[in-house]
Amino acid sequence: MRFEENTVGDVLVAKMLDKRIAADVAPRFKAHLAEYMKLGNRSIVLDLGEVGFIDSSGLGALVSSLKSMGKDGDLVVCGATGAVASMFKLTRMDKVFRMFGSADEAVRALAPVGQI
Amino acid sequence: MKAMILAVGKGTRVCSITNVVSKPMIPLLGKPIMESLVEHLRDSGFDQIVVNTSHLAPVIQDYFRDGSQLGVELAYSFEGQLHRGQIQGEALGSAGGMKRIQDFSGFFDETFAVLCGDALVDVDFQEAVRFHRERGAVATIILRDVPREEVFRYGVVATGAQGRITRFQEKPAVDQAVSTKINTGIYIFEPSVFDYIPSGKSFDIGGDLFPALVAAGAPMFGVELPFQWVDIGSVPDYWDASRLAVSGSIRGYRIPGRELAPGVHVGINTRWNPARTTVRGPVVIGSSCSIGDGAVIQGPAVIGAGCVIEPGAVVRECILADYTRVSSVARLERLLVFGNQCIQPTGEHFGVEEAGIGWVVDDARAKQEFAVEQLELLELVRTIAD
Repeated sequence: MRFEENTVGDVLVAKMLDKRIAADVAPRFKAHLAEYMKLGNRSIVLDLGEVGFIDSSGLGALVSSLKSMGKDGDLVVCGATGAVASMFKLTRMDKVFRMFGSADEAVRALAPVGQI
Repeated sequence: MKAMILAVGKGTRVCSITNVVSKPMIPLLGKPIMESLVEHLRDSGFDQIVVNTSHLAPVIQDYFRDGSQLGVELAYSFEGQLHRGQIQGEALGSAGGMKRIQDFSGFFDETFAVLCGDALVDVDFQEAVRFHRERGAVATIILRDVPREEVFRYGVVATGAQGRITRFQEKPAVDQAVSTKINTGIYIFEPSVFDYIPSGKSFDIGGDLFPALVAAGAPMFGVELPFQWVDIGSVPDYWDASRLAVSGSIRGYRIPGRELAPGVHVGINTRWNPARTTVRGPVVIGSSCSIGDGAVIQGPAVIGAGCVIEPGAVVRECILADYTRVSSVARLERLLVFGNQCIQPTGEHFGVEEAGIGWVVDDARAKQEFAVEQLELLELVRTIAD
């Protein structure tokens, strides 16, 4: 599982470089997000721009990560297009997650004013 | 008069749909394209029609049988082999398929029409045959003028005096095209055309036969007639065609069901309470459907027969195949659901099973069994939906 990480102020932008988030990788995907939180990241932007397919277990892993993050942190999604955007929309996950078009937009929304 | 419908194409451009049905069987408001073609041929005076089949042949034959229910005589020319219970197609090409029939029985003994089974057309065949006979043509192609940027998708034709075809180019580059008149896949032939088609060999009408006719100096003509041509050859084409049909924008195309509310046509044996749902036309709801209270259906939308739209579900601008179940938590927007696939208007698609979203959309007849994580997601979405 490959991620490209980038920190802007207090915001961690994690770009998923794999094409698929399905049952076979979902547990590792979840563990990876848990690791970010363990390292103290409280504002995480998950960039799904490179991902072409996410299944129910992928969404489940995301939801459970969101729950772990709790109310004092942010886990948001950006860059979802095509089948991935469709999956978020048709399962109403776009109401569970804050979704942004690009990483820049997401970072602007999460970073306190003056930090970027 | 006699005609032939070319129905062997595998339909790769709409493969997400043609995995389940062959291209001529793709339903427009529940009615296969080929049924409309047979009706139009019948109304134009063609009473004997041979259909060549291979890919998913039984689907076509089980539906049309001998043609008597449509008032024509139908026969099939099967191109392939049954190998251990599986049908294996055998590529003969469109002209090769014609020749096979002629070699078999000499069926084509008078002026005849040939057309592709994957576009809805209402061409004036009588006018086309009149044009063809007047010029003593061996072959006449029905032409259509298209914008220059689209020529690369088609066979392009250059015509001279009286419509005589002087050049033929198969799918030329935009800057190389000799004209913007394209071959629509509708032809009128004389039996003498078979002199130019070899037996037992793959031979294509556009790619092989027409160049051979041009080379031999045979009288081949093209005629541009005004007619509706609704292509369903690709997912975007099918998407557009369905929306036009449900909106009543295809001339002469009947919208099934009864109009129970403005722009909302509903089949029989369907459970629907207009006062407890939000349905905005143009919408066609098939027979034996169940539309739950609180559901939202926004047109243009086509809901196939036997669909279950659960209470609270949202379906906006979608085309749902027969027996699609849309769960109460689902929000379907601009999607085709066909053969257990969610297909976007661009053609991009993913499988319902592969994506593990049977808890959102699946077959209405399937037993509902979900994994624990799917049930958790379902519960979560339910709480936010409330």
